[in-house]
Amino acid sequence: MEYLLPTLRKKQEVDSLIRDTLDKVLVLRFGLSSDAVCLQLDDVLYKSVKDVSKFVTVALVDTTEEEIQVYLKYFDITYVPSIVFFFNAHHMKMDSGSADHTKWVGTFQRKQDFVDVVEEHMVQGCKSSLCNCRRYTERQ
Amino acid sequence: MGTGMELIIFLVSAVKSTGLSNRVVKESIPTFPNPMLSCIMLWASGYSEATLNDSFLADLDELSDNEDDLLEADNDDAEHMEEDIDGDLADIEALNYDDLDSVSKLQKTQRFTDIMQGGFVVALPLSYSATDFLVLKVEDALENGSENSTHGIVLEDDPEYQLIVDCNALSVDIENEIVIIHNFIRDKYRLKFPELESLVHHPIDYARVVKKIANEMDLTLVDLEGFLPSAIIMVVSVTASTTSGKPLPEDVLQKTIDACDRALALDSAKKKVLDFVESRMGYIAPNLSAIVGSAVAAKIIGTAGGLSALAKMPACNVQLLGAKKKNLAGFSTATSQFRVGYLEQTEIFQSTPPSLRMRACRLLASKSTLAARVDSTRGDPAGKTGRTLRAEIHKKIEKWQEPPPAKQPKPLPVPDSEPRKKRGGRRLRKMKERYAITDMRKLANRMQFGIPEESSLGDGLGEGYGMLGQAGSGKLRVSVGQSKLAAKVAKKFKDRSYGTSGATSGLTSSLAFTPVQGIELSNPQANQFGGTQSTYFSETGTFSKIKRT
Repeated sequence: MEYLLPTLRKKQEVDSLIRDTLDKVLVLRFGLSSDAVCLQLDDVLYKSVKDVSKFVTVALVDTTEEEIQVYLKYFDITYVPSIVFFFNAHHMKMDSGSADHTKWVGTFQRKQDFVDVVEEHMVQGCKSSLCNCRRYTERQ
Repeated sequence: MGTGMELIIFLVSAVKSTGLSNRVVKESIPTFPNPMLSCIMLWASGYSEATLNDSFLADLDELSDNEDDLLEADNDDAEHMEEDIDGDLADIEALNYDDLDSVSKLQKTQRFTDIMQGGFVVALPLSYSATDFLVLKVEDALENGSENSTHGIVLEDDPEYQLIVDCNALSVDIENEIVIIHNFIRDKYRLKFPELESLVHHPIDYARVVKKIANEMDLTLVDLEGFLPSAIIMVVSVTASTTSGKPLPEDVLQKTIDACDRALALDSAKKKVLDFVESRMGYIAPNLSAIVGSAVAAKIIGTAGGLSALAKMPACNVQLLGAKKKNLAGFSTATSQFRVGYLEQTEIFQSTPPSLRMRACRLLASKSTLAARVDSTRGDPAGKTGRTLRAEIHKKIEKWQEPPPAKQPKPLPVPDSEPRKKRGGRRLRKMKERYAITDMRKLANRMQFGIPEESSLGDGLGEGYGMLGQAGSGKLRVSVGQSKLAAKVAKKFKDRSYGTSGATSGLTSSLAFTPVQGIELSNPQANQFGGTQSTYFSETGTFSKIKRT
């Protein structure tokens, strides 16, 4: 699915993307474009990109590239596909029921599942001191 | 000259309200102040219209008497009526052939000179048997007409306009006459076929059907094709087979048939008048007829009572001109039209899809009012304003029919970025009151310092009661306040009245002894809500809330 979603092959690309995404959740999918599970995940991602475009950026990272191996080691990515969430260059951790809180392994069953996860990231990111977005959950 | 021609000439000349005939009629019938009406009476139903009315009264009197008297009176009256009718017929014939000729001969010299100068009457397309004399007049009149139209004189002074106004008033009067005659026919035919009046509503159709059926008891021998829609024919035949009517006596039948003839003649006269007006409508009101068409324009000008009267009306009234007020009891109201009058018959209205008809009607009414106003001041004799308005109307209606723009998929909003719209106001407060925390619950939630609370299971188990029921709580008695939620639910169930309603006391009975009707059964649940009893004493009312200060 490289032609549908931006695919990153160089370390510098990944770095710049992480740094430059402001006030939006950055979703990085580490995986192979030929893997069946990856394909399914990519499909879900592609379908939801339009809907969540206001607060999410999605990018695919090819794990076969050499420069990317650094990241695989850093994030300890062994299973493919894995998704790592960032918010304002900060790595977001998430309890998804498994032991590993740093990333999301595997695919999403439905588009709505992905949207829920990402919305929650956004809410938490906004709540934290990382950003200064307006919050209407407070009583006025 | 054919009788058709006579009819028109006499009609139109009658309308002019000058000449011998009116004066004669005025003297003989003091009950009809309207000279035009009296003229048409003279021709159409004879000057014995007064006697027709008298016969109605006589019939009414008869109804309340005994049957014997009825028969006798009927016979007597029948004789009189026959004489009268004969007299009528004789008069009519006399009028038709003798008096009409003489009158029209009189008029010919007088009227046609008038017409020569300003009238356009003879330009009727109905002059089949026009003589050379008339043809010359026609051409002259047309020439005069075209000259006059370029002057741009005030509309009211135009003699042709006067004629049109009179024609309009005449058509309205004819319509009223038709209604009266219809009532007469109906009353007479009721003995024979009472159900027919509820099946066939239109007076002219009724008259035609009555004439066709006459005294026939077996409707299979009567061919009603072309008079009524086939569904109605079927219903009529079926009802006729089980009708409770009896054949009419010969004289009554004759009266009825004559009345039918009169009604039909009146109807055809009205059509002719309207056709004439319609043909001249392009001259009188070009803008209005450009929008709604000449037939409808003629009708609404007639109903409004003139072009200036129409121009003074607000558009909402114009929309309702000619609206049928009759509610067809017995027929389903599924076909009851919304409030549209003659505008319903315009081409624009008929060609709009039914869902847009209400809007189209309002638009049509407003634009045609504008056009009528332009016409009343002769501001645009060429009719250009009317055509522009019509184009505007078409454009608007087309725009309404456009499909809505395609829906763009919108991205989801950022979570928690949109403020929740908080509502306020009395309604919301009242709604929230139903779910508010009651005093009992408030007391139960609190505890006093140092005093252990009671609990439902005792010894600290179960639900705690807090300050409820404690000695030093400062409240003498805490009662279960009438919760509004409970009241509302109780009321809802009461309306449904499952089984026996427990609210009526056991001592009330549904039987009541009334002086007039004796024993009367009354529904105990009939007037419980919304009756004259106020909610103060109502069983499901709540305690009034006294605000704590």
